[in-house]
Amino acid sequence: MADYSIWVLEYAAVEKFPFSVMMYGPQHQGTRKLPYAYALLKGKGETILIDTGYDHVAYGEQLATAYGVSNYHGPREVLAECGVKPEDVTSIFITHAHFDHMGAMHLFPNAKFYVQKSELDKWVWALTLGPEYRFLTGGGDPADIVRAVEAAKEGRMICIDGDQADVLPGIDVHLAADTHTYGSMYVTIRNDGARDGEDKWIFAGDLIYTYDNLTGLDQDAPQIVPIGLAVGSQHNLIFSSVEMLKSVGGEVRRVIPVHEDRLRTTFPSRLTDKGLQVVEIALAKGEKSWVA
Amino acid sequence: MDGTANSGEERAVLHYVAAARPVQQLISETLTQVAGFALLLMTSRRRAALAEGALAGARDAATRAAEEVRALAVPEVAAHHHHHLRGAAETLLHACVAALESRRIDASEQNDALVRALRASSDHLRATARLLPGFELVDFGQACCAAHAPQRLLEEVT
Repeated sequence: MADYSIWVLEYAAVEKFPFSVMMYGPQHQGTRKLPYAYALLKGKGETILIDTGYDHVAYGEQLATAYGVSNYHGPREVLAECGVKPEDVTSIFITHAHFDHMGAMHLFPNAKFYVQKSELDKWVWALTLGPEYRFLTGGGDPADIVRAVEAAKEGRMICIDGDQADVLPGIDVHLAADTHTYGSMYVTIRNDGARDGEDKWIFAGDLIYTYDNLTGLDQDAPQIVPIGLAVGSQHNLIFSSVEMLKSVGGEVRRVIPVHEDRLRTTFPSRLTDKGLQVVEIALAKGEKSWVA
Repeated sequence: MDGTANSGEERAVLHYVAAARPVQQLISETLTQVAGFALLLMTSRRRAALAEGALAGARDAATRAAEEVRALAVPEVAAHHHHHLRGAAETLLHACVAALESRRIDASEQNDALVRALRASSDHLRATARLLPGFELVDFGQACCAAHAPQRLLEEVT
């Protein structure tokens, strides 16, 4: 029986997103839906999120009008689909410091936040380089760093330096340096508690956008094809993808890209009355299904 | 207001936007640096010591930003915007002073002042982004959601 119940909760989406950004190379191959989502875990006395979503008050309108992001719903509505309130959240892993992953820290008043030290250090460093280097800091919001300071002052900000096992029971984090961002991290849930058990799930952050990054598009000749957006290197993205895949014995579906629309057909899921997907990855003992 | 006067007013606003935008960016970048230093200070004083040179540079940048904000020619319609830009620069200077004090003593009072000043500067900055177009704080150009935007906008105007 699993230690943690795990759901992926959609909170907004871009309906027509060019496939060539999700995967480096395939130009002119149409669009896919790109859901915005975070993961919710419950178990071992903890209520955990992986990433926070974005600050809709600050730039929701800009995202909607200029970038086609639609159907935003805040965490109070989204988490309620699994019987959780933002105040219940005890821990949040921030996979990287982009606005849609770190931008809503203020909506979780009781949570501790875990982020890679190098993600914040190098982002702040990159800002000293001048405006011609702004590609390196794109997608980051200064207000998020101020919120991180506020959380740190309250003892709720934990900077992790590299890989760390059992940050919470059965949950490990791994640094994927100089990939999508400087200090991206992925999160492993060992859901049977065993060090080398078979029931592992990996939350990849934006190291991959789609399962296709792990398989390529040619079924007869699988390959790793990185995403089309990185401040680090494609080399590092490829090797971190291989590392994640190896860790789950090559079982692609266990490396979860939250921007992958096909999660809803890979796992049990339901569409809420707000048009958002709830995807159920695992259920711990005593937890009821929220998609049945 | 006749067409000429209106054009004059519009030109004044455009001049203000062109001159104020780089200053706002300087404040935004410097705010992030000082906040980054504060984060180091509150999570690892040893690491913060390594960043003291950057803090001194940030203080110089904040001083320059405050002077440039004061020197802006402000048309009436941009007065509210300028009020917040000035507020962002002034509270950023307060944050620099508090950060310099905080590194010397392990005093929670100083940390309170630092956090308050950072929050105030961030709030003023957010207001500048809201009040006039062209002052957005997050560069979505490199964000995953934005890669399709140029094509999308083109489709909308054609």
